[in-house]
Amino acid sequence: MNNATTYDYITELLNKGTREDGRENLEYRALSIKPGTMPNAEGSAEVNLGFTRVLAGVKVVLGEPMQDRPNEGNLAMSAELLPLAAAHFEPGPPSPEAIELARVVDRGIRAANIVDLPKLFITEEKVWDVYVDLYVLNYDGNLFDACTMAATTALKSARMPKYENDAVIREGSLGKLPTKGLLSSCTFGSVAGHIILDTNANEESFADARLTIANDETVVRAMQKGLGGGFTPKEVSDMLDITFEKSKEIRNAINKSIGE
Amino acid sequence: MITMASSQEKPQLIVDGKRLDGRDAGDLRPISIQTNVVKNAVGSAYIEWGNNKIIAAVYGPKEALPKHTANPERAVIKCRYAMSPFSSLEDHGRTGPNRRATEISKVTREVFENVVMLEKFPGSEIDIYVEVLQADGGTRAAGVTAAAVAMATSGIPMTDLPFGVSIGKIGETIVVDLNKIEDNYSDADVPMVISPRQDKILLLQMDGNMTKDNIKEAIDLAKKAGETISKLQSDALRAPYLEVMEKYKGEKSSYDEKQAD
Amino acid sequence: MQRIVIPGEKLEDKPLRIEGAIVDNGKTYSTVMGSYDQDKKALIPLEGLWYPMPGDTVVGRIAEDKFTVYIVDLSAPYRGLIFSKDSNEEFVAGDLVEATVKELDKTQTAILGRPRKLTGGKLVYVKPSKIPRILGRGNNMIKQLTMKTHTDVTVGMNGIIWLRGGRLDLVSEALNMIQEEAHTSGLTNRVMSLLELGA
Repeated sequence: MNNATTYDYITELLNKGTREDGRENLEYRALSIKPGTMPNAEGSAEVNLGFTRVLAGVKVVLGEPMQDRPNEGNLAMSAELLPLAAAHFEPGPPSPEAIELARVVDRGIRAANIVDLPKLFITEEKVWDVYVDLYVLNYDGNLFDACTMAATTALKSARMPKYENDAVIREGSLGKLPTKGLLSSCTFGSVAGHIILDTNANEESFADARLTIANDETVVRAMQKGLGGGFTPKEVSDMLDITFEKSKEIRNAINKSIGE
Repeated sequence: MITMASSQEKPQLIVDGKRLDGRDAGDLRPISIQTNVVKNAVGSAYIEWGNNKIIAAVYGPKEALPKHTANPERAVIKCRYAMSPFSSLEDHGRTGPNRRATEISKVTREVFENVVMLEKFPGSEIDIYVEVLQADGGTRAAGVTAAAVAMATSGIPMTDLPFGVSIGKIGETIVVDLNKIEDNYSDADVPMVISPRQDKILLLQMDGNMTKDNIKEAIDLAKKAGETISKLQSDALRAPYLEVMEKYKGEKSSYDEKQAD
Repeated sequence: MQRIVIPGEKLEDKPLRIEGAIVDNGKTYSTVMGSYDQDKKALIPLEGLWYPMPGDTVVGRIAEDKFTVYIVDLSAPYRGLIFSKDSNEEFVAGDLVEATVKELDKTQTAILGRPRKLTGGKLVYVKPSKIPRILGRGNNMIKQLTMKTHTDVTVGMNGIIWLRGGRLDLVSEALNMIQEEAHTSGLTNRVMSLLELGA
């Protein structure tokens, strides 16, 4: 529930250099990444970031090649802000927020070539389609980073079905979904004149600008500025520096979770 | 394990009296229930029932919106049951509720209209969400079982704690708790929800072929399985309280505290 | 002797009028998660909602300003109503107020009196069933909390608590402890030592 009181309180804390949960401006909340929580899916991962909880599920199914990309498989990403995840999430078709979330995560994963799509080619008529579904189970801010982590982890740990004698084999001894690299994102909020990392729901509700930067070890792979406010070029440049520093922790956590 | 794609004919579901996963006809799959899993919800529960993984949450009571849905005499229940697109081993499903899910949402809502004390909250609405994250047969029964626990943790008063279970027929044998493969090839499937204190059947569906006697036997088996399921619900609800009580068992309780409430 | 009971659980083999219980076929059953005291025949809800009673202090937010009345969002199935004539202050939508329940009308509305605007500070949401424990007997718990932390605390029976000044972190931690351990003995002592350690 947003109100002037909470805003004043959050502002007061930020002016003092701290936050509701005692964090520093550029500090993440407690993070846990668990791959393989939904074994029916080829890949899955649950991410808890503070009280934000998201689940990514990966299904790999037979499909047809796209006309403009006849020699590779397909990737599709979608996000559901489940109505059970927060009092203000409503049942119904995906909201613009859910669509933005899925598209931003998708752009990073695609640009970083996390899924090795050419390796998903089977025949001229058949390729593998990879579906990634992002399920928000409890909302407490910063869905972008939590979902990027969940999607990357689920894909990196996914198994690869086999296609033999016109049949799909999904069980038994299977290889891994062909993937490359490792992606994470850092999302900043501008709240009461302060730039802070990993906003919780209260902070996020008062943010006037938001910037998501998705990167791998070497380069930026996707960006998205959200909300009505703006950032100065200097602020963006600082956030880029911080992202390259901070994202190492996240990628380490992903690697550790999948045993690499 | 059965490879579905390569065998079109019906697999042998019971061999030497044992089912494919080693169960006897009357056995339930392993079930575990956890409470308070969705921090934002008023009440919530997570159930693993065999390979089913289902999360249930309750919000409200709150003002019924849109206003024309409100009933001035009592609360209205709104229910959404939905299955994740990654819930099954084989396909990638569609997102959001389809016709099947809409029907299950309705019969689930009707279960809770029976046991929730709606008259306490005129003009308001209570939302029940059942999200099937992974499915392996019997999701509506498992979903109601979890939703009942979620409702109890919300503090919304209920006259009873219902449980669900699905009974099936394989050949001539009536079996408890069909899993997905059994469900696909069974001769009949009867999902049920029972209110154990009232001894009333609150959800009953059936398809396939069954004799009158088969159905009577199915109801008896459901009630028997319900003893186990009810116990698991009860244990899950009590566990967090007993845990904290156990921790401080030795400590003196002052008069002051006993009277606090 | 107290025991934890769940909805539908039998409390007594005879019909008894107990708050939070129903009588069916001559027997008494709980309708909530609760702690049942067999000797005193008292059922204390462990998870519960707020049912307004005249005299209850509430904390809520002005939802609408309709000339002669203010509608107050109480985060409950009941809304609050303040008649402008009952108020010395003027409010606008979004203001946070403390008030007292005067009476209830049939439309799920609590008529509120003695409203007071709350400014600054922080809100904490707790389960209404835990409020009696947070107050303590004779308001002892809350008095101790206020004294030891120098924090202004206004406890709304509807589960909204407003805090301002002093050691907000310590009060929040103590409120968490009380919520989680409300049904245990020795709680007051544990809260007091938490306050002393943190001070």
